[in-house]
Amino acid sequence: MSNLLPLTLKVNGEEKTFLASPHASLLRVLRDNYYWDVKCGCEEGDCGTCTVLLDGKAVKSCITLAHNCAGHEVWTDKGLGYNDEITRMIQDAFVECGSIQCGFCTPGMIVAAKHYIDHGGIADRKEIRKAISGNLCRCTGYNKIVDAIYKVAVELGREVR
Amino acid sequence: MSVIGKNTPRIDGPAKVSGKQKYASDIIIPGMMYAVTLRSPYPHAEIVSIDTSEAEAMGAVCLTYEDINPVLYNERSVSVPAATYRDRTVLPKKARHVGEPIAAVAADTEELAYKAMKTLKVEYKVLDPVFDPVEAMKDGAPQLYDKIYLGDEEVTIKNNIGVVRKIDEGDCDAGFAKADRIFEEDFELPRIYHCQLETKGCVAAPDSEGGITVWATAQSIHGNRHIIARVLGLPLSKVNVKKVTLGGGFGSSIQVNTVTPICAALAMKARRPVKLLSAREEDFYSHHKYPAQFHVKIGVTNDGVITAAHVKALIDFGSHQIQPMAFMGCVAGWFASLYKYEGNIRFDGTAVYTNKTPCCAMQGYGNPQVNFAIESMVDVICNEMGFDPIQFRLANYRGTGEEFWGQGPTIRSIIKSCGVEESLIEGAKLMPEWATRNEPKDMNAEILTGVGLARGFHCSGTAGPKEGEVIDYSSAMVKVNEDGSIDCVSPVMDHGGGTWDALAKILTEVFKVPLSMVCLSPADTKNTGYDVCTHATRGVYCGGAAVYNAAVKCRDRLLEFAGRAMDEHPSHLEISPDEERGQGYIHVKGFPAKGRTIGEVAKLAQINSWGTAMYAESFRQKNCPPCFTTHFVKVAVNTRTGEITIPKVVIYGDCGVAMNPELLHGQLIGSFNRGLGYVLYENLPHDYDTGKLKNNGLLVDYKMPTAVEMPTAENVIARHANTYEPTGPFGAKGIGEAALASVQAAIANAIYNATGIRFTKLPITPEIMLKALQEHGLAHK
Repeated sequence: MSNLLPLTLKVNGEEKTFLASPHASLLRVLRDNYYWDVKCGCEEGDCGTCTVLLDGKAVKSCITLAHNCAGHEVWTDKGLGYNDEITRMIQDAFVECGSIQCGFCTPGMIVAAKHYIDHGGIADRKEIRKAISGNLCRCTGYNKIVDAIYKVAVELGREVR
Repeated sequence: MSVIGKNTPRIDGPAKVSGKQKYASDIIIPGMMYAVTLRSPYPHAEIVSIDTSEAEAMGAVCLTYEDINPVLYNERSVSVPAATYRDRTVLPKKARHVGEPIAAVAADTEELAYKAMKTLKVEYKVLDPVFDPVEAMKDGAPQLYDKIYLGDEEVTIKNNIGVVRKIDEGDCDAGFAKADRIFEEDFELPRIYHCQLETKGCVAAPDSEGGITVWATAQSIHGNRHIIARVLGLPLSKVNVKKVTLGGGFGSSIQVNTVTPICAALAMKARRPVKLLSAREEDFYSHHKYPAQFHVKIGVTNDGVITAAHVKALIDFGSHQIQPMAFMGCVAGWFASLYKYEGNIRFDGTAVYTNKTPCCAMQGYGNPQVNFAIESMVDVICNEMGFDPIQFRLANYRGTGEEFWGQGPTIRSIIKSCGVEESLIEGAKLMPEWATRNEPKDMNAEILTGVGLARGFHCSGTAGPKEGEVIDYSSAMVKVNEDGSIDCVSPVMDHGGGTWDALAKILTEVFKVPLSMVCLSPADTKNTGYDVCTHATRGVYCGGAAVYNAAVKCRDRLLEFAGRAMDEHPSHLEISPDEERGQGYIHVKGFPAKGRTIGEVAKLAQINSWGTAMYAESFRQKNCPPCFTTHFVKVAVNTRTGEITIPKVVIYGDCGVAMNPELLHGQLIGSFNRGLGYVLYENLPHDYDTGKLKNNGLLVDYKMPTAVEMPTAENVIARHANTYEPTGPFGAKGIGEAALASVQAAIANAIYNATGIRFTKLPITPEIMLKALQEHGLAHK
């Protein structure tokens, strides 16, 4: 067995200490510790289902080394939904706009949307498409996901004039 | 107020957006082991021996072919046994494609399992492989099989020919003789990958009574149960497969997924729960869409009547049969049902074993493939003979009153609802560019634009008035709780299209209750009757009909209780919605003053010990109505780069009454996206030296459309035809697979309109487009 080392992270607002091997990805550590809302779609940094916020920035947790995040702040879709008004708005918009089908890409997609909105994202479909182009969805054809993020941007007064 | 036909937030939406929805990969059982598979590095090799001693010394539990009864089965179990070829065991004695699982190892952690797997010593006898289907049929080619079974009958395999299927109706020779023009063309469609975002996986837990409980990626919990019970030699009552949300399927879990029986067998051997998930690279080697080569011959008279058609098909289905026989029957049926051909059709299909990943259904079961061929041919005919493409289709299509083949030649029913005419005529109005598409344009322009049209369909389920090769029925249990809320236990799976949403809406309509008063219960194979599978676009039309049937009979029982309570004959009573109380309200017909809520009646029945209003039954539809689609696509071809973009698309769907139009449009748009990938990017070339996929199973080297390649929302116009299917629950039929059928030909026809170049082979990548532009002197310097 590889040696497990303690790792302290702030996950969804709570300080947590996990035991993780030195080479474990952030995705593995999160999923092993019951943060199932972080999905594993490819584990090669392509599909984006494992997207989480690391210090406010969307990252693919499968290609993020867990021990590199020691002392840093991680938020997942589920935790954000309980604690963050913007994320709740995005989640509601996804339901309202029909942006969900199988739902497997959804948590990662919502985190990517949260990153976009938090970083001044405007109600511009072309910009939104670019912002989520690192997240794959095989079901929806993306348009209704773009619509939901657009709707939130409008609600926040980010219309393009 | 009725919610049928209204946009309502999908019932599983809040759970999915908030990350609370659990998938098979999220299941954790205390004491669970983690498993990994050892996969063949060779495309064709006998496994002489597997030494597991070192792995076992590390504390791992290993599973090889020696541990399992060599039960031969077909992973797909929707056809009747007599029409099902069986060629595989849980783990093989001979590997027939790179990436085929040949052993599995479970340990306390996934890391340990992986390390233990690496110590397995396999002695292979490497055999010559064969990859090309034409080579495979030649004398002296390496043989994948000697003998397999069709039902209980032994079948000898010669020259790797797995299945031959010939269908001949009417008099094709006379039809062609009558034609003024004969058109012939070859078409080729690639092998592609489903890329459902959840890879195939399973959790299996032995129970205290010698049985097993299974959570798996599945489109059919009962299909999984039947195969697991068979390979483990257990009674069905000892195998419980739980319904869990599926992270996308597109057909790849119609069959029991290869890892599922492996996981179940490993759990039984280990006597502990086991989780086995496929890595994406492994999933890439587990299931592909059927590639197809067609030769199409169509006869047409000068006045625009198609008089006969003949399709020859060559299908390279890989190393195991996941029912290419049913697949070819369906290809014949889709082709036969597109146009009338004066009843003269012929189909010659050959499906061939090769040392590649087995192919299975992927949204359309041959429909997108053969539709591309036929709808491209119709475009050729109209261009060459000067027919209007809309009028030509209207003169020749099979519509109301005509026969439709729902699942090959043995399953047919009469079309009773049809939105083809509305879709073609109204669709053209929504794409004004269609009318001007043949006006002269500057062929020296850097961007060439064009508009194309194609139409298609799929069946809604696989039931005909007469039972055929395919099993089709579903089950449901419905009960009214003592507060007026409704429980329903249904085995029907939802891939994400919103089938469960539709089932809930059917219940609200029968009991006149709001959506919040309806709940789909957790379900498994022990507490539900059989359901064949959510495939063939049958979820709403067949699964929904079973729910409707049980609900109506449950309502009858409730009305009987209400009659007792109100001293009225039940036939004098009806249910109306009581919006104030958020309940269904049972009252005397035409006299609302005398009545009680559903909850009051159910509570009274409980207090008086009359019983619970509940009903459980299985139900079979007796039609397989087509759901139709039409695509008008505008393309822009960059003559400098060969890049093709879609500035605009009009999609018309005919699903009868749309249970939830927003979800319907989501299906239409999502399918367009997948079609875009199929036409423009996706392909799975193999390295013929090693048998490996050229992308090595890496998603980063498999280009699919992202958000950026889709036309923007304002340029995707999705509409649905105004039809009512008399045999469907509240007028509904399906849409899922139909939504993809005509995308491919519509795009290719638009490219022809833009450039004058006819593509009969997919994909049309920028490199291929640019080369063709250069050959035609259209490339921009």
